[in-house]
Amino acid sequence: MEKVITKLTEKRVLFTASFVIRLALVAYGDYQDRTMVVKYTDIDYHVFTDAAAFITEGQSPYNRSTYRYTPLLALLLTPNIYLSMVFGKILFIVCDVLSGLLIYNILLLRGLGTETALRVCSLWLLNPLPIGVSSRGNAESILAALVLGTLLCMEARHLMWGAILYGLSVHMKIYPVTYALPIALSLRTTETRSEGKKGMKSLMRFIGSFLNRELFLFASVAAGVFCMLTALFYYMYGWEFLHETYLYHLTRRDIRHNFSPYFYMLYLTADCSWSLWLGLAAFLPQLILLLVASWAFHSDLSFCCFLHTAIFVSFNKVCTSQYFLWYLCLLPLVIPHLSLSMKQGVGLLLLWFAGQGLWLGPAYFLEFEGYNTFLWIWLAGLLFLIINSFILIQIVSHYKPTRTPQRLKVE
Amino acid sequence: MHFVLLSVLACLSSCHCWIERDEKNDNHCGLLKHWIESSLVSMEIIKRGFHREVETTVELSPDVHSGVKVLLLHRWPRGVYVDPYQLASLSDQSDWKILLDSAIDLEVPAHKTMGFVTFVYPTPDGPTPTLLKVTIPIHGRYHEPSFVGEMFTSVDIEPPELLLWTEKCMPLNNIEPHDVMEAPCTHHNSSSCQWVKQQHQPQERGPVSVQFPVGDGSFHIIFKLIWCEFSGTLGCFLSIQLSFSAHTSEAHDHTRASC
Repeated sequence: MEKVITKLTEKRVLFTASFVIRLALVAYGDYQDRTMVVKYTDIDYHVFTDAAAFITEGQSPYNRSTYRYTPLLALLLTPNIYLSMVFGKILFIVCDVLSGLLIYNILLLRGLGTETALRVCSLWLLNPLPIGVSSRGNAESILAALVLGTLLCMEARHLMWGAILYGLSVHMKIYPVTYALPIALSLRTTETRSEGKKGMKSLMRFIGSFLNRELFLFASVAAGVFCMLTALFYYMYGWEFLHETYLYHLTRRDIRHNFSPYFYMLYLTADCSWSLWLGLAAFLPQLILLLVASWAFHSDLSFCCFLHTAIFVSFNKVCTSQYFLWYLCLLPLVIPHLSLSMKQGVGLLLLWFAGQGLWLGPAYFLEFEGYNTFLWIWLAGLLFLIINSFILIQIVSHYKPTRTPQRLKVE
Repeated sequence: MHFVLLSVLACLSSCHCWIERDEKNDNHCGLLKHWIESSLVSMEIIKRGFHREVETTVELSPDVHSGVKVLLLHRWPRGVYVDPYQLASLSDQSDWKILLDSAIDLEVPAHKTMGFVTFVYPTPDGPTPTLLKVTIPIHGRYHEPSFVGEMFTSVDIEPPELLLWTEKCMPLNNIEPHDVMEAPCTHHNSSSCQWVKQQHQPQERGPVSVQFPVGDGSFHIIFKLIWCEFSGTLGCFLSIQLSFSAHTSEAHDHTRASC
């Protein structure tokens, strides 16, 4: 068994096998779509393709109902129309495998040996969840690659490239904007401890620590990339671009059932005048935890970003299964620094799946059998939040801070 | 003299043609009336939950001519919707074609939208068979919560209206008591035609009722929900916060010890 694992995790074998598995599933998916009633391809893939088709006709991609992404994604998928419908899926699986490569390089920079790094990144490369998601035509792997690329550049202190990739990530999806605070905290000038200096002087020194060349460079390049793309697409598609790409997600209150424990409350109070205050109250725990996590863990940016994303997704007012990939792609960076045993790790994983299973049961009966299981779905969502919180606490409790590795330039 | 005779003959032959055409027209319209009166439309709703299928069966008279076009007009309530993209995909694989009268919002709840109309052309091209079957997938919308503790809400779906058209019965006459309705000739919606709408079915069938679950919007439920919600969330929040604090103080202790 050990020999098999060692063979599988040789770099060339691992990456080739990961790509071939995904390619095979893309081919199988095409067969299933043509021959079976239940389709393999995600409905989102058709949304992206339809939006790309509108772009090829010189129209707005937002003519496609439920297209709520950047026009950049539809532009990237125009070869679906000109070349082949399968182009997008190939792009997504390439980004998926690229994410594995980025994880490998980040782990090397964080001081792990080659063999250990390969074993850890196989948790992503051979994981059925990202394999299934990217081969079904979901675009999350593009964002995973961008976020991991940002972290790799930050780890290697290539700040310019890190800023460009970060600006691009935030343009593609809003949630990486939460990484701004830990990034800023990690780039600020670290002050030497001076006893007895409190109050205003300490505050001024703290604020002053943010005023340095590196942070200024990062902020201006990232903001520049984001603003440039926003301005370009606003010029091309107007208010609809801003609304569908950003504002809809910021103000989104999905009253239909999803993993969030808030969904039922939002459904029942959707037309109440005080629902806005409820929404704001629900936002507070998320915000405070993000601020505290940034302060407590900014010295290890990868770990901090993982915590940020897990907190953001778990406490969000809307939570669907594709959100899980946002923090799962960062988990391999965290695992080497956890003192959890294999048994504990597997136990937490099974608990996480059990939480989802307990939700999926009543959700299926509501949607496909017509039973009134709203209360059960809500309870399962609350339980899932408790499970996610427990897992996060276990991760934080068993986290061993990384020792400062030698900063190696990545070619 | 000859000229007058010729003129009278020409007049008489034109009148004869018109009368013959009118007679043929009357015959075809009479047939159309007979076909529409003897046609049967039945509807069945299958599957459960929020995703159903409406199966419509049309039995035409056995002597219906191949040139007759059929149109099924569905008037849908606001509690359901059809997915235009799903229909486009299904349409490619089946004989029937569908036209919607308005854009469909896939996500809005029932009480914030209106009903809509679909025009289904079971056999847009080719001869018309006497037995037609069309299956349309529909989806239930989320409804306003019940404030009186009801668990389900009913949505009534009317059977479709049957309309027939033939170019041989143009202009339409003698088709009473059936109404004439203007509707798109085909799913391309490039022109309008005068369709004959079936007035009464030989066996009149009422609407089919489907039930969808609704949330319980009673005050005490909302109150308990919010209380449990925020208690649970607060518990999780405090636990995570404590673990962060424990980690931070551990890190400070470690730093002091190494100094």
